[in-house]
Amino acid sequence: MISMEMAHFPILTTILMSTIVCLLVIMFIPDDRPKLVKQVSLFFSAVGLVLCLWLYHAYDVQKGGLQFVERILWVKSLGIYWFMAVDGINLPMLLLTAVVLFTGVLTMWDLELRVKEFFALMFLLVAGVYGVFLSMDLFWIFVWYDVSLFPMYPLIAIWGGTRKEYGAMKLTLYLLAGSALILPGILYLWVQGGAHTFDIFELQRIGFSPLVQKVAFVMLYLGFGILAAVWPFHTWSPVGHVAAPTAVSMIHAGVLMKLGAYGILRLAMTLCPEGLAYWSDFVALLATVGIVYGAFVGLAQTDLKYVIGYSSVSHMGMVGLGLSTMTVNGINGAVFQMFAHGVMTALFFSSVGYIYDRTHTKMIPDLGGLSNTMPIASAFFIVAAFAGIGVPCMASFWAELMVFVSAVKTFPVRGIFAVLGLVVSALFMLRVVQKTFYGERNERWAHIPDVTLFMATPRIILVGIIIFFGFFPRIILDVIQSAVVPFVAGL
Amino acid sequence: MAMMKWVLFTPELYYVLMALVFFCLSLRIKSEPRKLYGYAIVMSALGLVVTLIFACQEGMLFFDAYRVDLFSQVFKVLLAAGTFLVIFCCSELKGIDERQHAEFYFLVAICTLGMMMLVSSVELLTIYVSIELSSYSLYLMVPMRRNTEMFAETGVKYFMIGVTASAFMLFGISYIFGVTHTTYIVEMMKVMPGVIKEPAAIIGIILALSGFFFKQALFPFHMWAPDVYQGSANQVTAYIATASKMAAAALVIRFVGFTGGGSPVFVNVLVALSVLSMSFGNLVAIIQKDLKRLLAYSSIAHAGYMMVGILSMSSRGYSTAIYYAIAYLVMNFAVFMVIMKIADDGHNLQIKELAGLHKRSPLLALTLMLGLFGLAGIPPTVGFTGKFLVFAAALEKGYLTLVVIGMINATISLYYYLIVIKAAYLLEPVRPYPAIRLDGWTKAMSIGLMILMVYLGLFPDQFVALTEAAARSLP
Repeated sequence: MISMEMAHFPILTTILMSTIVCLLVIMFIPDDRPKLVKQVSLFFSAVGLVLCLWLYHAYDVQKGGLQFVERILWVKSLGIYWFMAVDGINLPMLLLTAVVLFTGVLTMWDLELRVKEFFALMFLLVAGVYGVFLSMDLFWIFVWYDVSLFPMYPLIAIWGGTRKEYGAMKLTLYLLAGSALILPGILYLWVQGGAHTFDIFELQRIGFSPLVQKVAFVMLYLGFGILAAVWPFHTWSPVGHVAAPTAVSMIHAGVLMKLGAYGILRLAMTLCPEGLAYWSDFVALLATVGIVYGAFVGLAQTDLKYVIGYSSVSHMGMVGLGLSTMTVNGINGAVFQMFAHGVMTALFFSSVGYIYDRTHTKMIPDLGGLSNTMPIASAFFIVAAFAGIGVPCMASFWAELMVFVSAVKTFPVRGIFAVLGLVVSALFMLRVVQKTFYGERNERWAHIPDVTLFMATPRIILVGIIIFFGFFPRIILDVIQSAVVPFVAGL
Repeated sequence: MAMMKWVLFTPELYYVLMALVFFCLSLRIKSEPRKLYGYAIVMSALGLVVTLIFACQEGMLFFDAYRVDLFSQVFKVLLAAGTFLVIFCCSELKGIDERQHAEFYFLVAICTLGMMMLVSSVELLTIYVSIELSSYSLYLMVPMRRNTEMFAETGVKYFMIGVTASAFMLFGISYIFGVTHTTYIVEMMKVMPGVIKEPAAIIGIILALSGFFFKQALFPFHMWAPDVYQGSANQVTAYIATASKMAAAALVIRFVGFTGGGSPVFVNVLVALSVLSMSFGNLVAIIQKDLKRLLAYSSIAHAGYMMVGILSMSSRGYSTAIYYAIAYLVMNFAVFMVIMKIADDGHNLQIKELAGLHKRSPLLALTLMLGLFGLAGIPPTVGFTGKFLVFAAALEKGYLTLVVIGMINATISLYYYLIVIKAAYLLEPVRPYPAIRLDGWTKAMSIGLMILMVYLGLFPDQFVALTEAAARSLP
């Protein structure tokens, strides 16, 4: 498997490079050509999307394991490898990234302020995301992880909304504090593994003593957990989401938060299974508290973006709960939930972005009756809300079902609490939908045109994906399962 | 044979020559800044070339008190590069009176000579003589600034603390001599394992090291740094912050290297200094308003990070510390270059003056951002790779807590670097400043530095191999 080094066209590096090349191209476009910047961005994001779709199609589910491996020795004396590969876990994440980037670029088509810098930073951010998902080497995972974090600061602080500078600084410092735990964790494992390789799978083969696993697991879990908005380290997330511009919220809530959960799965759980076994009670507890807490706090919010922010905390709790069960169904559900939640949140922020850009408010009491004035724009939000509740025939339904079934089996009490949390979140979603889109027609917004077909495209794509995978969950579950089954067997 | 030996000394001789040229030029009554700048830049560029040509020499000189090896030559190249870069930015040397420009270049040459000798010295008294040669030229350069009255305190403070550190160092050297009966480092290394547990030896080493800690601005020998950074002309500050730091780092590595890890007390002292230096520097930097002062505190923190590598006392630790030194030179210079170009009339740059920089000069703003992200240790810049390597070396020796503290400090430091970046990219200026015109050379230098920062960050393999070879060549 690993001997198959670069025998084929390096498609994974190409996917990563598509963003970096785009970044460089954008930097050389003159300042007065914002239209061209957007076209170039759209082109390169489409290239990434096509490549990811092809990859998804070409991945051999029967064979499973790592495919399209690219592995080059990078720094000899430390054992750092340029090691990229796909398996059933990162493949859905890549697809998610490509979809959210593509729709995000479309969503920001109206942007006028410092267009060139915005798209350049956005592609830098996505380069980091692709890098984390593709890399199988601890060094590179960390490098790309940090690359994906720091563009968030300017992106929020320059183009953001409510309390943008505060939100940007809080978010950046929280996430970087997370990496302050991840880096020692990675280096600790490297040293314990004999200080000669950063290759995840080689380290996995070496294996670590239970004590090392317990220590390293905590560092990696807390480090990545901050990005996954694990309660009580979630406070940056609603503030950051509210402050960020639409496409950045989409990428951030849709993809970047998944990096945290992905990091826990790929690094902490792969390398320290005994650490997880030891801490699983704790992990499940934090996840359940997150689900319930997010739902209740969401109930009290009056700002649309805060509502979505807290629902994200709640939904990411489900991912954590699924992972902590250590069962095939639980992890399957968690990975599926990462995908489904990513698409759903992107849709959420995308629809709120449209409403906010037109009405300049996202306070629920100020809106009201929007479905009369802009029925299509409202429909998108309502679909996303239903997906969030977990209505059948939507992708999240299957994901949440799998997580809860295995959670109730493994941790009965916490599982039941989590299901109750879901009921509360259904309540607040319906409340928001009712207050924002139904009820008295608000004449202030009567003049606002409904969303045009072009502007609706990104949302239509996202809705399509949610419903498609709601009807055909096997298409994604087969892929996920091909990686999860051997993974759980090896625990 | 005799000729062969002098070849080893060529880079140093070149800088003697450079110093002589500027000494003669300084005797002339009429001063022509443009012409002097032309001479200086050509000579320092040549100096870099000469140092590079003689980078692979090896041998001993002056009764074995002077060792030319890969370690010393790497640092000489860094010193020559630092000198060249600083002189490169002297086209608008407004911070210093025109009549003193020749003296300034003369002192830079002498100081570089002193530091080059310093990195090669392997005998305590030679080390002392070289460190004083470089220090005294710096003592003269610091008060050269225009409006000396405003910054008169600076020169005095630097001098007083400097000579005190020298006194400590001499005192420490006398202890070391008393314990080991030799002043040659090679001889000492043979005796050291037997005596390292003795209090006199430990006190001697720590006192002697304090002289270098002073140059490196490691806590608690940092008191001069903020005032001197603020009070000197921008070019002089840049020189102190880049070239001078290199020499100090080299000496600390050499000195700690010969003691070995035999004494837990000594190691614990270094750990404590490193932690204090990182935490103090980063915490105080948060409240700074003057950019140079902020960088002074950040340099204190960086001395602490570098110490993390050095105190691992392994070959990997020394090599990563060298790598960190290279990284620090590049990043720090990038930031200082931006300062010197923005404050081209030689005043002290306040952080709020950076407002609107991204409109005045997008290139400088980008250089500043990359440099600051590098200093904060964010990938894909060289600063991250440097920190990563240093921390890897420390963890290999089991310093998990120290690494966690280091990373927490890196997060704290990000806060104040972000404030500067925010000023450059976000804040609107109170009054409109004119756009900054950059000549072609400066543009090329900016782009070159940015490429170098990213290249060294993403492709460290060859450089890591080089620093490892350099660390192996230590006696």
